[in-house]
Amino acid sequence: MRPAKTTLLFITGIAFITILAISPITIQNRETILYASTTTSLYNTGLLDYLASNYRKTIGEKVDINFIAVGSGEALERAARGDVCLVFVHAPRLEAKYLANGTLTHHHIIAYNYFAIVGPTNDPAGVNQSHNTIEAFTKIVKAGNEGKAIFVSRGDRSGTNLKEKEIWDKVGYVPSPDTDKWYIVSGQGMSNTLLIAEELKAYTLTDTGTFLKLKKEGQLPHLQILYTESPDLINIYSVYLVSTCEGRQRNVSLDFIHYIVNHQNLIAAYGISEYGQPLFYPAKDSIEWLQEKWSEITAQG
Amino acid sequence: MDTVTDITLRTLAISGTATLLATTWSLPLAYRLAVKGPRTVAEALESIVGIPTVLIGLLLYLLFSRHGPLGPLRLLYTPQSIIIGESILITPLLIGTLHRVITSLYDTYGETAITLGATPSQARDTVLSEALPTIAGSTIMAFSRATGELGIALLVGGNLEGKTRTITTAIALDVSMGEFGDAIKLGLALLAILIITSILLNRFNKVSYR
Repeated sequence: MRPAKTTLLFITGIAFITILAISPITIQNRETILYASTTTSLYNTGLLDYLASNYRKTIGEKVDINFIAVGSGEALERAARGDVCLVFVHAPRLEAKYLANGTLTHHHIIAYNYFAIVGPTNDPAGVNQSHNTIEAFTKIVKAGNEGKAIFVSRGDRSGTNLKEKEIWDKVGYVPSPDTDKWYIVSGQGMSNTLLIAEELKAYTLTDTGTFLKLKKEGQLPHLQILYTESPDLINIYSVYLVSTCEGRQRNVSLDFIHYIVNHQNLIAAYGISEYGQPLFYPAKDSIEWLQEKWSEITAQG
Repeated sequence: MDTVTDITLRTLAISGTATLLATTWSLPLAYRLAVKGPRTVAEALESIVGIPTVLIGLLLYLLFSRHGPLGPLRLLYTPQSIIIGESILITPLLIGTLHRVITSLYDTYGETAITLGATPSQARDTVLSEALPTIAGSTIMAFSRATGELGIALLVGGNLEGKTRTITTAIALDVSMGEFGDAIKLGLALLAILIITSILLNRFNKVSYR
């Protein structure tokens, strides 16, 4: 065999050549590279990629927009550390904290839809006949205590989980898996949590996008939407510029925000061909009402 | 769109490079530790072989973050940052396994060679050529660990489509979307890579050992 030193040098050489060879993947010529963090549930609907590819077509220069799909908490934490220029989130209470500490600026509400309470088709708690969200949740508590219902919570401080906590606060009863046998905390993302609810014939709170997608694929035969479209269940999607973002990236980020705000028809039409109903409502027509709702939610936090 | 092939090739390039890189420092270090000690260093490294990948990922993220100590290098969200992370991840595994074998081979062959008048570097070449099957085995294990890790790729790579999406981060994303079928396809690609590398390396090893 070769002497050890030569062999090692040879291996080192190969390693460095490979490192250089895969560099062009990242260092593209004169392109503005933009990083945006977002929540997984929003990223998974494909809306952001759709908006970004439409935006790229309208501008002359090369812009590369990359989405980092993580939980709401991590998305905002990455912003606080200056590792992204844009944040797309739906967790007003968390957002308010990062607005207050100066991480985020240029808040724009871009879209909204409604969270939905989904549950087994036979609806043992009678959520279907509720007049408001608080009544629906109270019914689940009652049926839970009687051993007739189970509720699966994500428990991961995601936008959806924060909404759920917000509702429990309004109900005036915050269930805990230690004392409430009917209350299960999955600690997982929306898809997995829905699949757990399907297995257990349980109730859960979900965003409509994820539910419709899994329902369409036939993975949730026993679950259906029982209560939604109530003002209490509003799901507000916002975009922010991160204040540490500078130079070209800042300009392009602001331009992209501007594009989204002014091309709300793209959002309104998104998902209709695939799901037979829109996944999001554009924010523009009801922006004042949404801002009021947004402030209401953060004030309770 | 990233195809399964794109993701698989990228994963191969990243974890393959990380393995080669880690070998270049682990092998000399393992040899040094085996011949001169201290033993405690090798033992300490052995004990952290199972270190959670997500922990290394988090530490590296804080290091590479814009305002972190190495922020100006702009390594965050690059394949290179994953290579660095994975090469750190597998170093204890490589040193841990190599050092044990080299120790016993040095006692058998190294000492004899030196008694017979060999220079230290001749003794080293003798020991290392005897250790070749183990070196190959350790490298396969290290490659397997690097390929299968998720925490580092997710935290410092960011799972960017077309750039840093690896098999494991793509599986995690597919699972979060409920696309279990796609996740399993990628899982099979991962298994295929590991099995094929293992077979190739073992075959090469037998040939060179004869």
